[in-house]
Amino acid sequence: MNRFRGKTAIVGIGEVPTGHFPERSFVDAAITVCEAAIKDSGVPKHAVDTIIPIGVVSNPLDNANVVCSWLVEELGLGKTAKSNFQVMSGGSSSANALKTASSLVLAGLSQAVLVVHCDRLGTGIDFNAAVTAFARASVSQEYEVPYGWGQLGLAGLLQQRYMYETGTTERQIASVVESLRKWAALNPNAMMRKLRTADEILDSPVISSPVRKRTMNVLADGAAAFIVTSAEWAKDLTDQPAYVLGVGSRCTNFTSTQQPKNYHAAWGPAADEAYTMAGIQPKDVKVAEIYDAFPTFILITMELLKLCELGEAGRLVENGHTSPGGRLPVSTNGAMMAQGHTGAGGGVAILVEAARQVMGKAGERQVPNADIVVETASGGVGMDFHVGVLGREA
Amino acid sequence: MTEYTKPLPLITDLSRVFYDGCKERKLLYQQCRECGEVIFFPKKICSNCMSRDLEWKQSQGRGKIHSFTVTYSYAPPEFAKDTPYALSIIAMDEGFYIMSNIVDCDFDKLVCDLPVEVVFQPVTPDITLPKFRPRPPAR
Repeated sequence: MNRFRGKTAIVGIGEVPTGHFPERSFVDAAITVCEAAIKDSGVPKHAVDTIIPIGVVSNPLDNANVVCSWLVEELGLGKTAKSNFQVMSGGSSSANALKTASSLVLAGLSQAVLVVHCDRLGTGIDFNAAVTAFARASVSQEYEVPYGWGQLGLAGLLQQRYMYETGTTERQIASVVESLRKWAALNPNAMMRKLRTADEILDSPVISSPVRKRTMNVLADGAAAFIVTSAEWAKDLTDQPAYVLGVGSRCTNFTSTQQPKNYHAAWGPAADEAYTMAGIQPKDVKVAEIYDAFPTFILITMELLKLCELGEAGRLVENGHTSPGGRLPVSTNGAMMAQGHTGAGGGVAILVEAARQVMGKAGERQVPNADIVVETASGGVGMDFHVGVLGREA
Repeated sequence: MTEYTKPLPLITDLSRVFYDGCKERKLLYQQCRECGEVIFFPKKICSNCMSRDLEWKQSQGRGKIHSFTVTYSYAPPEFAKDTPYALSIIAMDEGFYIMSNIVDCDFDKLVCDLPVEVVFQPVTPDITLPKFRPRPPAR
């Protein structure tokens, strides 16, 4: 038996609504989700001995301050905390924080780890500054900056090639957004809760071909937190912990030019590793909480997770199988396309949603029998690929 | 020449060799003398075997569009005046990939795997950028 499998668990989660909240301060949102996660977990405050704040993109000062134990002071953890340090790998911070937190618990160095993300990309940063910041990071200063690359250009490059290789139609890509909006309509914390049909989505103007206005994500304010403890303690703390059954990852590149051209060879092993560690098969997966940023990456990931054959994901989505009531629920919080893009927080929201489904706390969008949930994350321009498996039994 | 306002590449001792090549209308890449690995973006250390014995080579300047996107709006601010423009990752015949723009073309006729060739565009007295255009007879 793998020494990592089932030894740790997520026992508490907290989240505030994602959207544009100019009146909600950074620290208010941050401590609110920490408070919620701690209370949800049943872990006594003094046992939260490690705090891992994820990187803040919208405001360098907020980031410097969370690195310098701002939240330890705000939460009154200063008498018992051992460590406060940052984990940051952009969109995949959730996965790297889960690996770090679980390892600390497993090694006996920490009783309970609090991972927290908070950012204000919707109202805490000027829109043009945000576009520029995102168009500069993860770009080669020597060989890529002169050509007008941006995050939407990246989405365009990815979608164009994927459609060309697989024969996936634009309507199938739009169906991903339709499906995510259906989930978001059931999620009070989501930003884009209005239902949109694939036809309505295709009616929106082309922004960076073939990406359209309604296949873009929207930058938002958001915050979420979760608590990791040992599986042993988790059983006493809560009726239904989300056990960490398997993790797998690959980190491949910095720039989009150097991104692997064969995703399956490069990133597929991450899924294989996670499944093998968890001792499950793709057919055991009840819910897939897939990190998006853009709809095409959901389709690519469904294939990487072997939830369908290569090039089949679009048809599955178009036929409604990933939507509420479908046989393969995908990204039940609406993902970044519908919950909102909160910087490194998109991945944290996905991981928290995976735990929420396993814990049976997903309210109207709860998937019955969510005993095995797979979740993914990816940072930078698609620089890495992480897979986690959470489950109801250790 | 009107003032060029878009971002210019960072010049380092390594990228200077590449851009000096562009000024002479040569598209340079590297190859490892020890293991034969084709290397681009240029590096000090071979990405396969970590050798420092790398040599510069001249590309024939031909390749195929791996992927492309035509940006119409929401471009990075410095590029807003230039929309629409085609951003592309090109698979070069020598086996490396390069990011650039596709120029001198009808955007509606672009498609993945379209054969393209390099054209050199001087943008400042110091910097010439490699751009690509569809290769005849596809033009």
